[in-house]
Amino acid sequence: MSRKVQEMDTKKSKNIQFNMEWVQKYSTLIVLVLMFIGFSVSVDRFMTIINLTNILQQISILTIVGCGLTFGFAAKEIDLSVGYIVGLTGILVPMLLINGVDLWFAITIGMGAGLVVGITNGLLVTKIGIPSLIATLATGSILFGINFMLTGGRAIYGGLPDSYLFLGQGRFLGVPILAFFMIAAVALAWFVMERTVFGRYIYAVGGNEKAAELSGVRIVFYRTAALTIVALFAAVAGALLAARLGSGQPNVGERYLLDGLATVFIGMTMFRPGTATVLGTFCGALFIGILDNGLNLIGMDSYIQNIVKGIVILVAVAIVSRTTKLKLL
Amino acid sequence: MSVTLNNIVMDYSGNLALDDVSVTFGFNEVHGLIGENGAGKSTLINVLSGTVSPTSGDIYINDSLVKLGAPCDALLHGIAQVSQEGSLVPQLSGAENIMLGAEPKYLGSIIRRKDLLHRAEKLLNKWFPEASIPLDRSVETLGVADQKVIEIVRALRGNIKILILDEPTAALQNREKAQLWKIISSLPPKGVGVVLISHFLSEIKLLSNKVTVLRDGKFIDTLQAENTTEGNLIDLMLRRTGAAKGSGKVKSRSFVGDKTVLSVKNWKAGQVSVPQFEVMAGEIVGLIGLTGAGHFGFVRSLYSKEGLISGTVEVEGKPVTGNVRAMQRSGVAFVPDHRMENSLMPDGSVTENLSLVHPDFAARNGILSFGVEKAEVARVIDLLNIKTSSRGQLLRNLSGGNKQKVSLGKWLYGAENKYCVMIFIEPTEGVDIGAKQEIYRKIRALAKQGMGIIIASSDLLEIEHIAQRVVPFVNGCPGKEIFAEDFSEKRFISALSGENA
Repeated sequence: MSRKVQEMDTKKSKNIQFNMEWVQKYSTLIVLVLMFIGFSVSVDRFMTIINLTNILQQISILTIVGCGLTFGFAAKEIDLSVGYIVGLTGILVPMLLINGVDLWFAITIGMGAGLVVGITNGLLVTKIGIPSLIATLATGSILFGINFMLTGGRAIYGGLPDSYLFLGQGRFLGVPILAFFMIAAVALAWFVMERTVFGRYIYAVGGNEKAAELSGVRIVFYRTAALTIVALFAAVAGALLAARLGSGQPNVGERYLLDGLATVFIGMTMFRPGTATVLGTFCGALFIGILDNGLNLIGMDSYIQNIVKGIVILVAVAIVSRTTKLKLL
Repeated sequence: MSVTLNNIVMDYSGNLALDDVSVTFGFNEVHGLIGENGAGKSTLINVLSGTVSPTSGDIYINDSLVKLGAPCDALLHGIAQVSQEGSLVPQLSGAENIMLGAEPKYLGSIIRRKDLLHRAEKLLNKWFPEASIPLDRSVETLGVADQKVIEIVRALRGNIKILILDEPTAALQNREKAQLWKIISSLPPKGVGVVLISHFLSEIKLLSNKVTVLRDGKFIDTLQAENTTEGNLIDLMLRRTGAAKGSGKVKSRSFVGDKTVLSVKNWKAGQVSVPQFEVMAGEIVGLIGLTGAGHFGFVRSLYSKEGLISGTVEVEGKPVTGNVRAMQRSGVAFVPDHRMENSLMPDGSVTENLSLVHPDFAARNGILSFGVEKAEVARVIDLLNIKTSSRGQLLRNLSGGNKQKVSLGKWLYGAENKYCVMIFIEPTEGVDIGAKQEIYRKIRALAKQGMGIIIASSDLLEIEHIAQRVVPFVNGCPGKEIFAEDFSEKRFISALSGENA
């Protein structure tokens, strides 16, 4: 008799546990949907096609940065220089274009710059052994200086080819071109992380570096690769950002660091709690985008938006730290 | 004049770290405390030093009941501890370390440096007048033995009656050890009893008046040190009676073939020195030793080249240089101890963990085919009878036995005919009886297929049960090997005490 009761008890607690897991996985998604519904009902101009495509346009570049950061976080590496990489290519590409360089060549050079920064970050971390948090803080500072040196602190504008501006401002069938880039970036990142051996190894290095090493995974290569990919995605984002703004500005990339980290942290609360996933990051970007947009439409001051965003990040990180040890240093 | 622990039970949610242990430590003796890893020594001294509160049991000091809820309670009652790792601030001077937290000050805020040095020197002279340690130098510039002495002086700062020393000589050279031994034996005449934990039995024998042996959380015996031998102590530490003995014992060297799959020559790594070691195809070799005897270090260095000084290793006749990946490619698999740190991803799924070594098995051009992966994962789960609710279940939700099976299964996933040597360290650490038997069966089956198996284990019964040949390690060196027909616990134990019985 008592044994039966006990069995039922364990069954019950198992059910509760299962539900808890479910809640953990999807609570952020539910909050996202509720927020969306809340804004649609309470804010007049929110649920219009124009506004919704605007949101897509606004989050595209952020999502691309976030997708890159996801690779880094999955391998337990952080990159604090992303914002300045966005800035760097956002300056380099328009500079080259104004000087008459062919569009594709200019973009290739921009990507090349990102590649160099990424590999440098990676080698500083893996070969010299500086924790990524510190290595990228320093390279970020260097890039910040370079960005201002290249531009003399002024914006670069005028004479940018229409084909370039179209990438950042154009629409196809009413959908911003940027959104197509975003979808492509998400699809590519998702495929690599979830469907390839390469992605498996990135997760393995982040999941347990020692175990990966003893299993024969080339951890130096994969950690370097993760940081290189972060920089490459940031470089793409930078080239697109300048096209959207119609000018290259030395200090516009910075906000993509905090916002980019926010998308990843929010993403880490869902699907696989404690682990960065591409779809999680995408949802994180939607979260930030809808929140920003809704608060804007309500007419809230931008500094209050900053406060709200900070709180959202703290809550997300608090949830993540409850389930797993967040270890980046 | 003594402290008595009475019927101490420490229950970590069903896991009895201490099971009704009673022991008395005198204020005028060095009392050795020995036992293998997991025997309960650390838990016992943590109880004594107030770091943890026991589930039940009482502590008496001079026959009056005391409650030690925190380390400061224990200090007030005169019980202090010097931990194994050391707790000095390396940049501070010896004097500053000794007076840490009790610095003499002007106006309660400015440290009186001269007075501090003076007081520290007085303390050092009071306890160890023969020691000449410069107390004005930062301790990181001092030798390890001097650092230990400084730690001991700091621990003795209050009115201390019992000093717990946890492996005080573990990091010391032989010459320095002698220096510290003198210091330790000078304490009981001054009214300070010492509780000494050490893996070096010769040291225990030399310094202690009494020795208490623990095994599997149980009190075994307290002996007068002069009336016992090292062999006797090892016997008490290791002997397990009443377990499933003799069941399915291997008759003799029943393996077939004479192909050497692994051959090691002149291997020197860290403290380990192995002139020659060979494993034949189909053979199960057991490596045994006391903690720190080098049997784990040997196989670890073999696979990862950790601490390697010199030596050659050949797999199936081909020399292998390079570390993990080279060993793996040449056909050596490694199932390490401490699986959660060394082998598995706790937040990964069962599938991700099983496919960790050979994810490419289910991939074409680097792109995974989930159908192939699913089938192979299902095969391994079935083969090892891994109990999991699904292939996507997170690894950390599995039981210990099933985790261990995954740790082994990693090397079977997509690895047909890839491996000819498999190295295990503690293959059934924290594994329940049922899973244990299954793992043994699987290991035997692998040997039968022609793999050479090496098992380094601290569980003598396990080795007796599964190995066909045993190499005992003493002080980093392999002793005379023992074959299955001569297996007995007694034989193992005498081999571990360095006697060539």
